[in-house]
Amino acid sequence: MPILAGQIAFYYLAAASVASAILAVTRRNPAHSMLWVLALFMHVAGIFLLVGAEFLAGVQVIVYAGAILVFYLFVLMLLDLPREAAGPPFGAHWPLCAAAGLIFAALLWYAREPGLVLTADGSAAGGPPRGSLLAVGTALFTLFALPFEIASLILLAAIVGTVVVAKRKTES
Amino acid sequence: MVPVGACLGLSAVLFGIGLIGFLSRRNIILMLVSVEIMLNAVNVSLAGFSRQLQDQRGQVLALFVIAVAAAEAAVGLGLVLALSRNRPGVNVEDLTQLKW
Repeated sequence: MPILAGQIAFYYLAAASVASAILAVTRRNPAHSMLWVLALFMHVAGIFLLVGAEFLAGVQVIVYAGAILVFYLFVLMLLDLPREAAGPPFGAHWPLCAAAGLIFAALLWYAREPGLVLTADGSAAGGPPRGSLLAVGTALFTLFALPFEIASLILLAAIVGTVVVAKRKTES
Repeated sequence: MVPVGACLGLSAVLFGIGLIGFLSRRNIILMLVSVEIMLNAVNVSLAGFSRQLQDQRGQVLALFVIAVAAAEAAVGLGLVLALSRNRPGVNVEDLTQLKW
């Protein structure tokens, strides 16, 4: 019974995230698009919970929905775009773009392996239980210690670069 | 419970939607948001593989993807601000000159 409930929850979350992604891409008003992207992020966080990645779900909600999306909304409202909201949302070449995206998605769809089924018992590797924060943290600070530091360096470079790029030039 | 094939299919569909949005939207901010949708699609497939292989490294990789997405959002929106200071509006079809 929990297996069936999990499948129902997964297919609901998948359908809702696809629908909100389509709405986010096609809405004319950018603020509405942002709100649909917020819905998409929340549903993807639900999918992360369902596949046993609890820490990833938390990070998804806190960092993606809480920080990145708010940052986008700030910039969107800072720019104040009445003229763009009135024009057509897509460029003139949108059928070509849609064809490219659909072909790419179809290729990915056929490259997947539909027969792969996740077993419910999950006693494969004998390691720590899946999805535990302990296992993720241990992997992050032992095996991935150098990439972790490089990620912090990337974030530092992004901060400094953003300030340099977006700074108003002062006459001197 | 959840077949990993379904995770990969969802990832493919979300990635395609993000790709369509990135290629066809005129608003540069929404192009960046479409990139975020594509990165989320990749995270879904990484989490699915992590579950399939009973290995936490997929989740760690997804964390790195989120970190890079934050850096990309910061740099991209800084560029958008600098661009809109030189030329108001966020329509990419107006940005045809490399120098003005």
